[in-house]
Amino acid sequence: MEQYKLFIDGEFVDAASGNTFETIDPGTEAPIATVAQAGKSDAENAIAAARKAFDKGEWSGLTPAARMAKIQDFADQIAQQGLRLATTESMNTGQVISLAKFMPLVSITFLRNLSLAAATKFPWEEEIPVSGNAFAPAREYIRREPIGVCVGIAPWNYPMYIAIWKITPALCMGNTIVLKPASYTPLTAIIMAEAAKAAGIPDGVFNVIAGPGGELGEILCTHPDVDKIAFTGSTEVGRQIMSLASGTVKKVTLELGGKSANIILDDADMDLAVDGATFGNFFHQGQVCSSGSRVLVSSKIYDEFLEKMKKRAESLRVGYQLDPISHMGPLISKQQLATVENYVKIGKDEGAELITGGKRVEATGIKGGYYYAPTIFANVNNKMRIAQEEIFGPVASIIKFDSDEEAVEIANDSIYGLAGGVFSTNTARAERIAHQVRTGTMYINNYHIFSDYCPFGGYKQSGLGREFGLESLHEYTQVKRIHVNSMADAKTNMNFQLLSDYKKVDGFGYNCPTGVVAGHGALASISKAVVDLGCRRALILTDPGVKKAGLAELVKNALADFYVGMYDNIPSDPDLETVDAATAVASELKADCIVSVGGGSVMDTAKGACVTLKSGGKANDHLNFLVLTEPQTPHIAVPTTAGTGSEVTNVAVLTSKSAGRKLFIVDRRIMPDVAILDPRFTMSLPKEMTVSTAMDAMTHAIEAMTSTMANPICDGMALQAIRLINENLPLVVADGKNEKARLNMQIAATMAGWAFTIAQVGLAHGMAHTLGALHHVPHGVACGIVLPKVMRYNVDHSADKLANVAQALGVNTSGMTQHDAALAAADAVEALMKKVGHPMQLREVGVPEENLPICAFHAIADTAVLFNGRPVNDPNEVLQLYTQVY
Amino acid sequence: MEPGVSQVIKSLLADTDIQRPIRIELNFSGCCDSALCLRIDAVSNSDLSLESDGLIFVIDPATYRLVGEVTISYVDRPSRKGFVLKSSKPIGEWDGFGASSIKF
Repeated sequence: MEQYKLFIDGEFVDAASGNTFETIDPGTEAPIATVAQAGKSDAENAIAAARKAFDKGEWSGLTPAARMAKIQDFADQIAQQGLRLATTESMNTGQVISLAKFMPLVSITFLRNLSLAAATKFPWEEEIPVSGNAFAPAREYIRREPIGVCVGIAPWNYPMYIAIWKITPALCMGNTIVLKPASYTPLTAIIMAEAAKAAGIPDGVFNVIAGPGGELGEILCTHPDVDKIAFTGSTEVGRQIMSLASGTVKKVTLELGGKSANIILDDADMDLAVDGATFGNFFHQGQVCSSGSRVLVSSKIYDEFLEKMKKRAESLRVGYQLDPISHMGPLISKQQLATVENYVKIGKDEGAELITGGKRVEATGIKGGYYYAPTIFANVNNKMRIAQEEIFGPVASIIKFDSDEEAVEIANDSIYGLAGGVFSTNTARAERIAHQVRTGTMYINNYHIFSDYCPFGGYKQSGLGREFGLESLHEYTQVKRIHVNSMADAKTNMNFQLLSDYKKVDGFGYNCPTGVVAGHGALASISKAVVDLGCRRALILTDPGVKKAGLAELVKNALADFYVGMYDNIPSDPDLETVDAATAVASELKADCIVSVGGGSVMDTAKGACVTLKSGGKANDHLNFLVLTEPQTPHIAVPTTAGTGSEVTNVAVLTSKSAGRKLFIVDRRIMPDVAILDPRFTMSLPKEMTVSTAMDAMTHAIEAMTSTMANPICDGMALQAIRLINENLPLVVADGKNEKARLNMQIAATMAGWAFTIAQVGLAHGMAHTLGALHHVPHGVACGIVLPKVMRYNVDHSADKLANVAQALGVNTSGMTQHDAALAAADAVEALMKKVGHPMQLREVGVPEENLPICAFHAIADTAVLFNGRPVNDPNEVLQLYTQVY
Repeated sequence: MEPGVSQVIKSLLADTDIQRPIRIELNFSGCCDSALCLRIDAVSNSDLSLESDGLIFVIDPATYRLVGEVTISYVDRPSRKGFVLKSSKPIGEWDGFGASSIKF
């Protein structure tokens, strides 16, 4: 009789105890080999060998392509042993030879296919283009690395194939493995060890220990040097393995039991369905975890189906597994035979109708063996034990249903969810049902198809994780994220600053790609801008006031043949629904370019529409910070105000009704591609709006300088903006037709926009946002009213910058201390506001005094406040500021 | 029964008004390997029965011939809780590994 040894650390060895056990042929009950019986110390030795091999890096350190080459050698050696493997598998398991002869082939292709996928398709490293954290710019990427030492526990029904399911991904992904085959069927695993050795798989990478699970299970599942367990077997044992593994938090994949439902609809091809149900139940004597052992049959075809399936089952030949004409061989053991007989008895006792089978069979010319006839129970109720408990034998339970909904309900009424099927000539109907059954695989018009790249595994108590496919490769790796800080400077790290009193952010990135065309007649450049952007179909977005003023018509004419339409229904404070409506129009007109003609509301709506048009969905889907990875729909901005700077900024402010506040899209990819500053477009702006929008720009500029994110580039932009506003706002107020002054105001707003889009704003904007959201105070008006008070509030933290602001505002600061010059800046702003007739108090704009406390609580939570030069932590301080300007 | 098992069983049955014996039977809980389990069940005429510490256990003769004498213990640890059944003729290689509850 052949003798098989354990395979540990590259050597075939006896068990430390010297113990052996016999393994038998279930078709004859005769022993066919003795096998070394591993004990606890053998398991420990195997684990130690695997650990050493992994840590040495000889295998894990190879490239995936190099491992693939070695695995191909392994596959070749299995091919060399093909005949021996097939016949041994058949003799040892009872698999009919017509099935067993394929086992070497499918194992070889599995090795080759998965190792190829690991080498060429698996994402070992993956860049994360947007991290989702706006406060920590970095290169982010992930690496997938081997887990370490894996334990594979294989069952007796497909010992070679299921061992390969575990060996392959373990080795492909750089792990080492200790394989414990089932004690009934250890032989092919040990033969594969011979193949591994012949192929030159390094010592310790692949180990095989045969022995009783009850004795080896605990050590394999609790040893600290084991990193992962992959188990195929019973749910009861799997549950215990999971529990034991939890003590050292091992990764576990489990492929457990099933009681799958094969649903035969009334429009099924009858012959196909009968064969499918027969194959799904009696293939390999029903000893397949994914067997469709509950056959759900439509009441409309029930009798016909039953008759045909009975006939089909009775035509199956049960015989010795090596006889090529046998359809079914023996069950694996007398214990399994007894279990099947027990369930058949239970079925009868429960009242199910035995249609055929239900008895042992004698194989022709064979003495002994564990043969059982294909058995069918009809009129089974899904609550019966034979419908709920896995029998793992050739026993089919036929259950009647009336409607598709009832079939789905019955199918899902199980603790298991491994596989299932639908037979129907209507694919759409079959797929609808398949989608509703809670199970890991659904076959439509087929059964028991295993495909190397298609994942297999269970829902519910049928298991965890997946085998086959890229999914299985993922199961044998772990994910490491690597973060490479883009600004390796303690004084640029906003997170570290939480434990520091230094709140400024010294380092910065400046990226403002908007092309600006400015001057008298700049609008004429728009058609060239459209062409340079590669567009041909421009949609104008505007508001009713701008349209009425005739400004939108100017742009339409300038666009000439590129013009495809106009959406003019944009309110001030646009909301998400406005963006969705504009996007719908753009989509309908197949616009490839958006031209915004208006103030901040129109430009922000356009930004939202550009993102939604590009990415699909609704505007609400895109309220994110720094997540866009590609250019959006091209956007040309033609501002008709000189204030928001939205023509160059990376933010769109949109009102969300459901959130009850303004929300933002923030991304450099929403900065308009082109901004056209043509002073004609602001000539008709009324005085009040001219003044309020100018104060918005002034607030942008000053807050950009005092922000924690302030930097020299933005300071330069801001100071020039402040000078231009200070000089030109009184001129424009005196003569609205002063074109040069109007142009300078537009340029100032744009420069202030560049400044704050990088350097951010601060408390004045937080307070202004709140006044706008709660009391509909126009944004620029609100900014202007609170700005001087906030400047004084910040003076001790921004005296140097505010002193520069004072100079830009024309204050003669010679002889002043920096502190006094800073305070003088606030005075100068107030003086300018009075000069141009800007409201100075909240009571003038209708804010009720009793609402000031709630405004304070609202304002302190505004994002803008995070960047204020002086930390803002106390709502009472904000309330004081509101009170000062009331 | 190992010491303490009968108390656990009585405690589990105390809240029910079930008066039936406890069957030792073969159970299959999925992909390979049946196991012995306990189930509250009716007696059948052919059953073998045993009374122990006020509890009646039954087993069908075929199962008894297959598995032999059965030892029942109870474990209550974080990683393992329930009844453990082992037989003089082990039903499979995982005999005694899993722990299960009494099925009703």
